Amino acid sequence: MTDPLDALRAPVRPVDPDPDFADDLRERLRRAVLRIGGEMTTTETTTTPGRIGALTPYIVVSDARRALDFYVEVFDAVRRGDPIIMDDNRVGHAELAIGDAVLMLADEFPEMGIVVAPEGGAQIRIELSDVDDSVRRALDRGAELLRPVEDRGYGRGGTIKDPFGQRWLVAEKSPEPPVPQGQAMYFTFQVPDDEAAKSFYGGVLGWRYSPGSTPTAWGVEGNGLQGGLWGGSGRQVGWKLMYAVDDLEAALQRVRDFGGRPGEVEQHPYGRTADCVDNQGIEFWLWQS
Amino acid sequence: MRPDPAFALLSLYETALPEVYGYLLARCGSRAVAEELTSETFLGAVSACRKTGSPPVSTGWLIGVARHKLVDHWRRHEREERGLRLVHEAEAVDPWDEELDALLAREVLASLGAHHRAVLTLRYLDGLRVPDVADVLGRTVHATEALLTRAKAAFRAAYREKGVRDD
Repeated sequence: MTDPLDALRAPVRPVDPDPDFADDLRERLRRAVLRIGGEMTTTETTTTPGRIGALTPYIVVSDARRALDFYVEVFDAVRRGDPIIMDDNRVGHAELAIGDAVLMLADEFPEMGIVVAPEGGAQIRIELSDVDDSVRRALDRGAELLRPVEDRGYGRGGTIKDPFGQRWLVAEKSPEPPVPQGQAMYFTFQVPDDEAAKSFYGGVLGWRYSPGSTPTAWGVEGNGLQGGLWGGSGRQVGWKLMYAVDDLEAALQRVRDFGGRPGEVEQHPYGRTADCVDNQGIEFWLWQS
Repeated sequence: MRPDPAFALLSLYETALPEVYGYLLARCGSRAVAEELTSETFLGAVSACRKTGSPPVSTGWLIGVARHKLVDHWRRHEREERGLRLVHEAEAVDPWDEELDALLAREVLASLGAHHRAVLTLRYLDGLRVPDVADVLGRTVHATEALLTRAKAAFRAAYREKGVRDD
């Protein structure tokens, strides 16, 4: 059927706009790309949660779908992708991130000898930020309490068996180990022009930025370092590192003894710091937690 | 880590700009409006391309963004016109196989109400299928077909009237 209106068809014909308009929009676009990148929060991440390490438990459960929900609700697990569903609707493989680790699981496949252990079997130790609360949530959802939560000198912990046949040694999170003396723990990239640096490294390496404590300071995601980007003139250009020390006053004395210039001690919510210069004029910070 | 896709917009800008601007200018007929919508397209693309599941940044994708900006523009326009529009709408549906005078047809199209102009542009200038037109307009296929019928009738009435007057 012909339609006379088909004659109106207009394929895209490029037209150069007014050059002033083109320049103006190019600048607005550049600012928008950099600014909105800056509004990104640090919780927004495009990477898969958890990391497959040297040891990863692969458990068999009696009902993988419900087990996944249970681990999400009780252990604050995060789903890693969609489960692999077999033709007969059983879950052939699923992954969860718990903290920085990965848990893999599947439904039972008795024909392949993949079954839940009727008793015994491996126990998995899991660290949680609130052991009592997680155990309560587990019991509410049908878990069995094998050993009540108590402190036996290693922090609060207990044992549960979930409704899908898996035993868990729940334990309070271990405290973060202190940063050893001499280790760099904060990295500041000092540049004359922060906008120019954001544009360059964003374009070349894909770094992303979040606003920092001052208008020219930016958090950086994508370089694998803890620290930020700091723009403005009058500062030493390049990377400036902050090193951990066990005793700040003693370390400042050593800076002086070895020909450097110790700085004033500053108090911060994250610890005490001093802005120092080494014996060749290179700046660095010292930090004591 | 996935690199920020918005940086692709910066590198694509020089080649995509004339395409996007050309697309919009041919459809809205005003330089000022085309510039405004071109700006909205590129600036809106920054956050759109960062959404998860967004396709890779390309000129074709930007034309799609421009199409939505154009529809938004007509929607705003339609709200302003609504008070002025005649209640009567032509409903003719008998076959029509006249050969159109392209120049006259463009003039007629520009004289129609924004809602008719939008649906005819997407269907005929862009050559979209009716379900795709419905998608861009955010209407059901059924409602889009009905709108298209009314728009064609309005176009035809205006085309005849204008043709007679100009002869």
